[in-house]
Amino acid sequence: MQKKTLLNALCLAAPLLFPTLAFAAASAPVATQPRQSMAAGEHAEHGEPVGAGGAEVKDKTSGGRGKFMAWTAFPILKIKMGSEGRERRVVTVIPQGIAANSIDAYSNDIKDAKGHRQLPLDMAGAKLDKPEAGGFHWLVAREELDGEVRVASTVHFFSNPGKNPTAMFMQQKHELEIIPQPYPREHSRYRADEDWKFLVRFNGKPFASQWVRLETQNGTRTNFVSDAQGVITVHLPGDFKAEAEQKNADSHSHGRRGADFVLATKYIDGGKTYLTAFNGSYGPDAFDQRSLAMGLGFTLLGMIGAAPLLRQRKATKKPTDAGQTADASAVPETSKNKEA
Amino acid sequence: MLSKIFPTLTRFRFTIQLIMLFVTVYGGALLGTYTVDRISQALPSLACAYDKQTGDHCILIVAQHQLHHRIGEALVKAQEITLNVFIPTLISVGVFFSLFFFLNKAFCGWVCPMGTVQEVVFRIGRRLGRPLNRFAPGNVGKVRPVKWLMLLVLVLGLPLMAGMGTASNELGDPYCQVCPSRLATTLLTADTEQIALRTSTGINFFLGAAGNALFGFVIIAALAVRLPFCRICPLLSWNALFQRLSPMQLVKKQHDKCAKCGVCEKACPMDIHEIGQEYGKKAFHEDCTLCGRCVEYCPDDDVIQIKFFGIKLFGSSREYYKQRVKLETPEGLPKNKVIWLAQAKENQHG
Repeated sequence: MQKKTLLNALCLAAPLLFPTLAFAAASAPVATQPRQSMAAGEHAEHGEPVGAGGAEVKDKTSGGRGKFMAWTAFPILKIKMGSEGRERRVVTVIPQGIAANSIDAYSNDIKDAKGHRQLPLDMAGAKLDKPEAGGFHWLVAREELDGEVRVASTVHFFSNPGKNPTAMFMQQKHELEIIPQPYPREHSRYRADEDWKFLVRFNGKPFASQWVRLETQNGTRTNFVSDAQGVITVHLPGDFKAEAEQKNADSHSHGRRGADFVLATKYIDGGKTYLTAFNGSYGPDAFDQRSLAMGLGFTLLGMIGAAPLLRQRKATKKPTDAGQTADASAVPETSKNKEA
Repeated sequence: MLSKIFPTLTRFRFTIQLIMLFVTVYGGALLGTYTVDRISQALPSLACAYDKQTGDHCILIVAQHQLHHRIGEALVKAQEITLNVFIPTLISVGVFFSLFFFLNKAFCGWVCPMGTVQEVVFRIGRRLGRPLNRFAPGNVGKVRPVKWLMLLVLVLGLPLMAGMGTASNELGDPYCQVCPSRLATTLLTADTEQIALRTSTGINFFLGAAGNALFGFVIIAALAVRLPFCRICPLLSWNALFQRLSPMQLVKKQHDKCAKCGVCEKACPMDIHEIGQEYGKKAFHEDCTLCGRCVEYCPDDDVIQIKFFGIKLFGSSREYYKQRVKLETPEGLPKNKVIWLAQAKENQHG
């Protein structure tokens, strides 16, 4: 009986017992997870095949539209959430570093009426509203001027995953493309110190041995070369600084820190120069602001809490309590066999 | 042929559980990255969204997020409480219950990866000769309300308050932060991220510490207690809300010897003593996961049955019972198998 009481007490107390310990530990100084910083010489060996970089940035226009970002000269598309940060149904797409007239939006339901939309641009940007199906949206801005085709592309995800977006991602949308293989699905995101694959295509065909440049908001500049299948494996750098509080303003990020990155590639064909960029955001590495040691410690604490349950009890007259009972031959008497 | 592969219902159920464990934990890797999003709409079951390889998403994270991001926010902006706001939530919950309608709580007993993990650990506990700790009829009632508390506070209350801005945004999915399935399924994919405590804020740390401690407790307790976490799982209470509406039912006829026999009670992994004492609706208790063990271990023909639209899928039988107890005791102790630690102990003494 005492054992049963103990069992009940432990089961009930377990979730309640640990808050005290947890709060005590939370009040203790927490060691900051060491973060990698890009060594200055790490990228020195790489050339500058695409020929862009933060140092060359000039403010071409005075408005927000078309204005270069301070950290990159490549064209990018910024996504701004609803004005109050709570609105999920409409986002504003703001092209930067590119003078486009509209934004093309492709949803993962290509056959839907909203499968491909041209969103008009005003000074604030282009409004993208969530279709019923929700899901992934490929957003692209294109500018063609003086024999140069500049493309900025990104992906936005509305809640409700909808149809599988692979076909939409793989559909050819412009000449030179950088396509995520795959894009992080719902509840996931790009993170530092992870490898992600991207497909480089030209006119719909995989583009082998093509240089692709990576630039991040945190200052990393590096290059990758596509393999025979046109795929580049991008290692997102662990370049978040410990002291930087880069929490995104919108609540969609769940208060997580994040920074932007852009991948860009350039190719000259038939007298035209094609420059295509794909941008997104990435967060710190998986163990940022996490402690594995403390996690294992509290798990162990829970295990210790359950350990008394494993103690072998002394044999009792009621063998069923020890779980060693019900012999095969011990068929209970029932009305049938009693009658028999 | 089938009867040779699956000589017992338990063997059949365990096979289904292992298949579903594989689908829910590694399904994304097998079927494609984005497939999880689609499967989740068709099978919004019980796998953890924090598992990067999962083939499915648990309904509880969907519910918390929708209360947090949709309903809670909409309540603040009352003019926006329209069908457009509620429809996504209704669809998610509705799709879940449409499947639940056919399976009833068999979700818990046949599909849930955390249930499977606990059952595997319990089987290891039997082979290790660990004792079986059961809840007595007088005590089990003290634990049962905890699952309702978990549902009301962690799954419904706090996410809604976070959405309305009256609770911290970090309380948007508090249940997931303490759910042991999050740790079990991610560890099964060799991902240690989730077991590492979030140290960014006190709330994160507190929830993580409680979750890790609960996980550690459950894993060890499962060696000596059957399904320790299931007893407080909010999905059990969530399902119980609609238990009577499903055509899948556990049916028990009145039988004059039931109160004296009690083997089905011993076989029940949820310690539902009512199955031995009651009949009719009272015997199909809200904690029942439709695992079918009580049916297997009922020594009388057709006293306990699992029925679907009134058609018997599986019923108790005396012949089956005789075969069943030759393989395993009602408490789950395998027959004619080496009990490792017990064997060692006997050798030591003998």
